[in-house]
Order: sequence, then structure tokens, then C-alpha cells
Amino acid sequence: MPHSEKPFKLSVTDAEIDDLRKKLDLTRFPDHPDGMDWQYGVPIENVRRLVARWKDGFDWRAAEARINQLPQFTRDIEVEGFGTLNIHYVHKKSDAKGAIPLLFVHGWPGHFMEVSKILPLLTSDTGDHPRFHVVALSLPGFGFSEAPKKGGFRFRQFAEVGHKLMLALGYDKYVTQGGDWGYFITRSIASYYGPKNVKAWHTNMPYTGPPTFAANPLLYLQYLVTPLSAEDVKGLQRNDYWDAERKGYMWAQQTKPQTIGSLLADSPAGLLTWIYEKLIESVDDYHWTDDEVLAWISIYWFSRAGPAASVRIYYESYHHPEDSRPPWSSTPFGASHFPKDVFYTPDLWVRAIGNLVYEVRHEFGGHFAAYEKPEALVKDIRALCKLDVVVKEFTK
Amino acid sequence: MPHSEKPFKLSVPDADIDYLRKKLEFTRFPDHPDGMDWQYGVPIENVRRLVARWKDGFDWRAAEARINQFPQFTRDIEVEGFGTLNIHYVHKKSEAKGAIPLLFVHGWPGHFMEVSKILPLLTSNAGHHAKFHVVALSLPGFGFSEAPKKKGFKIRQFAEVGHKLMLALGYNKYVVQGGDWGFTISRNIAYYYGPEYVKAWHTNMPYTGPPTFAADPLLYLQYLVTPLSPQDVQGLKRNEHWYAEGRGFTWIQQTRPQTIGSLLADSPTGLLAWIYEKLIVWVDHYHWTDDEVLEWVSIYWYSRAGPAASVRIYYEYYHDFEASQPPWSPVPFGASHFPKDVFYSPSLWVRALGNVVYEVRHDVGGHFAAHEQPEILVDDIRALCELEVVSKEFDY
Repeated sequence: MPHSEKPFKLSVTDAEIDDLRKKLDLTRFPDHPDGMDWQYGVPIENVRRLVARWKDGFDWRAAEARINQLPQFTRDIEVEGFGTLNIHYVHKKSDAKGAIPLLFVHGWPGHFMEVSKILPLLTSDTGDHPRFHVVALSLPGFGFSEAPKKGGFRFRQFAEVGHKLMLALGYDKYVTQGGDWGYFITRSIASYYGPKNVKAWHTNMPYTGPPTFAANPLLYLQYLVTPLSAEDVKGLQRNDYWDAERKGYMWAQQTKPQTIGSLLADSPAGLLTWIYEKLIESVDDYHWTDDEVLAWISIYWFSRAGPAASVRIYYESYHHPEDSRPPWSSTPFGASHFPKDVFYTPDLWVRAIGNLVYEVRHEFGGHFAAYEKPEALVKDIRALCKLDVVVKEFTK
Repeated sequence: MPHSEKPFKLSVPDADIDYLRKKLEFTRFPDHPDGMDWQYGVPIENVRRLVARWKDGFDWRAAEARINQFPQFTRDIEVEGFGTLNIHYVHKKSEAKGAIPLLFVHGWPGHFMEVSKILPLLTSNAGHHAKFHVVALSLPGFGFSEAPKKKGFKIRQFAEVGHKLMLALGYNKYVVQGGDWGFTISRNIAYYYGPEYVKAWHTNMPYTGPPTFAADPLLYLQYLVTPLSPQDVQGLKRNEHWYAEGRGFTWIQQTRPQTIGSLLADSPTGLLAWIYEKLIVWVDHYHWTDDEVLEWVSIYWYSRAGPAASVRIYYEYYHDFEASQPPWSPVPFGASHFPKDVFYSPSLWVRALGNVVYEVRHDVGGHFAAHEQPEILVDDIRALCELEVVSKEFDY
């Protein structure tokens, strides 16, 4: 059966680059009273500096060339009830025999290039550890994939896209890795397609509420009688603070995506501010260069469907909370906790998510683990996939 | 002592009008999947239509001329801890003897022109009812008033500005009317400056939680033993829906005003969508013309401090909630409930807000009562001020 895979080279048109520059030239900045620190949002000097650089100095074609060092493709994927979506992805095979296919799933405001630092390590043929073929897709509505043409595209559909992509590439046994929405989506992939096709799943953002009696009676009883550790208490307080102070963007995106979308689609300076806030606040001592930030945000600005499409996943998730709790799966599950990530989850609660076979708490690292701490994350992925319960699936 | 009052004629420079037109020409709209109704935010066809009109067809100079039919002024007001702010206001005296000075306080996304339909009725010398001198200010950071030059400008400071303006105009006895932020500010004006100066206050948005034992033990006990009426039950359910779906804008504005501010300052299309959503969703069968909407949003776009300044009131209120809830005041208080406003408050709860001497529940009307149902609102204001407890304070 003929497939629709085409090689993809990112090549934003000159017209789009000009349009961006024209809009940046016309930027109107907010007023800025004294004393407005990060508490109030992104301080204006950051926005001014980045906009000036974006307009004049930042070399998008050079950033594009760096992106194009990763082998990319597009292919049509059929999604039940949603027709065909053209999906963009990175795909790099390892030279090693018996390499494990791995699907990397990004989140918001992430994208496929979050794989860029871990990919060379995962596919490398040196050293005594598992090797991987790596697939990193642009989720529908993100990066250079098409957006769904109607509402109601939920985790089930995102999971279907990821799974069908792996099958289409000839990988009927694979593992997944994801954080942010990537966590929710890979959890769904494991639930619906594991352990038959999915042999393990790993997350750097294990996020869940406390166990419930309905879902997990034994764990719930354990939860009732187990006191929280000092670390748990501190972590849950951080969660409360995040809810009270950092969740505003989520509220706007999950209730009125087309309204906030109108702003994000039209204002590059505004889009920059909206995303930059997350890049600074969610990391652990990671020193972004301005060009690194601009390359990141340009992917959103130049994305195939535009930035507004990327926030609809919040609406669908918020309006279908049951999607965040797919049926429990026996697929082996690994969890890495990074201390500066946005959510803290006690160990006991993590056990309710899935069949936990590997868990580690790091001392450094934040939300964008693959980007901030690539060696640490790769070590965890390898450690999970080195466990016998996973190895045996790929040596059958 | 010399005063700083100057007559004010709104006259946006040609360069600013050109600049807006240029930005509108470069508008980039969000993508728009099928079936995205108002649940997802402003449907794209509305945004496209309004932007096309704003660019070409909408006559700002004609709108300006209509605005300038109202006598406007600016004057410096000293605010403790914040220096001097130049405040813009409408001021129209009634010809009637014994007219009552009334301060009208708008909210967000409202502005001083919300007074435009009630002003002629309130100041009119015809009929046998209370007459008023009307003052409608642009709150600091809104319309054509200066914005505070540093952070921490709270409801108390907004109240101080309103009161000092009335005193500066020679009104030692006055009444206040407001909805939205105008409700909170009027309540504070009444508490801090009544009954010595403020002889009554009226709101079209009495908003409160249930009584608390700490604030009002008797009312609290009454609250415990009084069953909710079917109307109460229905209204509180509507509030729940509001909290779940309608408050995204509140969350981002109260936590990250400078971040959302960057978007609102830079994108006229986005600002339009952001505000238009409220103009449509918060009213009761009010049929806005496109030019009416564009005139309304243009006031935000051309405002003295820019749109970002207007959302900081949310931040300051949220981060010092207690400070904005003054104790019960004996100043005569009138409350009008409009059925399609964003919050429903049971009558028993309203008694915790102040000395209720007048209360009415209407069958029609929404959030922008002065603009949607001017005759009804004016009837209520007159009825309140004609009560002996108020009218005895004035020569009427």
C-alpha cells in the first residue's frame, strides 16, 4: 500500500519573514510603572530587548539550517472521526542492531525540537546501554503538522496519531517518552495500545492527584494512613502557589482558546512574552541565550496552523477531565521527578498512574527536562529500557 | 488656591489613527476549525468583520465628535503615596435647584462613556423627580486619565481619587453609582468618606459571598437558617458556571497583568476580540452595532496609558483582597439586580454589603446596565435618592 511519507525541509517563505519583521517594526509596548518585577509578568526590558534582536540580528535562516540537521518528514495519518491529518516528524534510526523505537511527545509551549539534545545520545551506537530509533512528532496543531479541522480533538485522538505514526514507520513494538501534554498523551498511548504495541512509557512530569477509592482502593487506603513527608508538604505548597499565581495562562486557554488565540496569532511581541514567561519560570537555572529563545518562539510564530491552534488541547482536556484518567495499564512505566518542574507529585500518588517499575527524583532540572538536562533524562530512559521487563519484549 | 482643571477635547493625533490602520492591515487571524462556537471564544467571522470595518468604514473622527458632545475636563489629583495623577472626567451640571452631585464609576472593560445614556436623563430639568449634577471619571489607568506610576495602586487609592475629585469640584455632599469595579470602588468611597460626604451609594452589580460570622454574626445566623429560594439556587448555579467558564480573563489579568498587557497593547485585533467577547456575552439581548463596538474598543486602544494599564486593578485587588472589603457602612445603599449580569447574589447576602435602603430585581438587563437599560437604571437611582433618608441631605 502506498504511503504518503515525504522528506521535509523547513523553509519559511521570505514573505512570512518579511511579514514578521514588518509586524515587529510596528510593535507597541505596554506602559511600565516602577517596581513591576516578575510578579506582575514579564518585565518590559526583556520584551524590548528580544523584540529588537528578533527584528534585527536574529538569523532565522541559520536557525532553520540547524533545525534541518535533523531528518524530518511528513505523512498523512487517518484519525477516526477527523479524516486525514498531515503529520510532521523527526525520524532518526540508530545504526545499532536491536535498537528500540522511541516516540517522543512534546507539550505546550514545547515542540519537536525539544528532542534535539537527547536524540544524538539516544541513537548513538557507542557505550553499553540500550539504543533507540527516535521519532519526534509535531502534535496536531503544533509545529509543522496540520491542525484538526474541527473541535473535539482529545487525548484519545492525539494518542491515535502517535500510535499510527509508529505503526506506519514499521514499529509495532515501541516505547514512548513525554512531559507536559506529552505525559498525558503517552499515558493514553500506553493505556490504549499497550502492552500489545507499547512496551514501556516514561515521563519527566508524572502528574496526578491523590489516589481515589474508585480507581485504586488499596492505594487509597495506603494514602489515608501514610503521613506526608516534609518534602511532600513543601512540594504540595508549591503546587498551591502555582495554582494561585501561575495558572492564569491555562485558565484563558482552557476556557476561551479562540479569544486568546486572536491575540497570539496577531502579535509576535505578545506571543514572545506569553511563551518567554514559561521558558524562564519553569526551568532550573537554565541560561537561555536570546537567539535560543527566538528560535524557540519562531517555531510557534511560523507554525503551520499558527499559534492559536496550539492552545485548543487545553480546552478539550479541561472539558473532558475523564480523559486525564485513562484505564490503568500494565505497560511498564518509568517516572523521573525534576525538582523545579511546575507540579510536585508524592511517590505514593505516582503509583496510581500506572505499573511503576522505575522511579527517580533528581536534584536539578525543571519542566523542559529533555532540553535542560539531556544526559540525566537519557540515563533514565536507558535505565528503564534496560530492565528485564522491557528488554525481553525486544529480544523476542 | 489655583486649581489645575482644564477643558478637554478628545483629539487623537492623525499619526495614531494611521498607525492603527497600518497594524490592522497586517492583522494575522487565528485559524478557525469548523464548529467553533462561542464556547471556544469569539468566532472568527465576527473578528474579521469588525477588523475590516475598523480599517475601512468606521469613522473615528465622527465617534470622537459624539464623545466631545459631553463636557470633559482634566485636573490633577494628589493621591497619598502616589504623587499627582492627571484625571480625565465628564462633568455636567443640572440646571435644577438642589440637584444632587453624582459620581459615576465605571469598570473593566467599561469606560467613562458608559455614562452617556444616563447623563441626559439624570441632569434633565423636566419632571418631578430628583435631578443630578453628573461627574464620570476615567479611572486611573483607563480612558484619558494618567496611570499610576508605580505598583500597589489599590481600591483604596481609586476611592481616594473619586472622592477628591468631587471635593475639588465643590461637592461636599454627593452620591456614587457604579457597577463592576465601580461597585467595589463605590463601596469603598461610601465607607471611607460617608456619611460625612457620601450620602448614598448605588450599584447595579451587588456582588458578595455569603455573610460571615466575623463580619456580621446576626446576618450569618439568619443565613444559616434561611433556605435558598428556587431563584437563588438557579442564580448560584449560574455563578458556578461563570467560575468554571467565564473567568479566564480574570485569572490572567490578576496574576500576570504585564504579560497579557504585552498582547493587549500590541494587537488591536486581539484587543478587540478580548473585549468584544464581554460585550456580547455579558449583555441581555442588547444589539450592538459594529460602529458602537468599534467606538468602545477604540477608547481602549487610544487610551492615554494604553490597554495594559487597565488590567492592573485586577492584580492589586487579588493580591490584597481583604483590603478591598471594607466593613459595613451606615451610608444609605441601593442595589439593583440585573438578571443577565455575571454574578447572582441572594438578597440576604446583599445586606452584608451595606445599609440596604433600596433594592430591586429586574426582569431584563445585563452587566452594562447604564448602557443597556438607561431608563431603568435612572429610575432606580432617582428612587434611591428620593427616599427621605437621602433627600433630606440635599435641598431637593
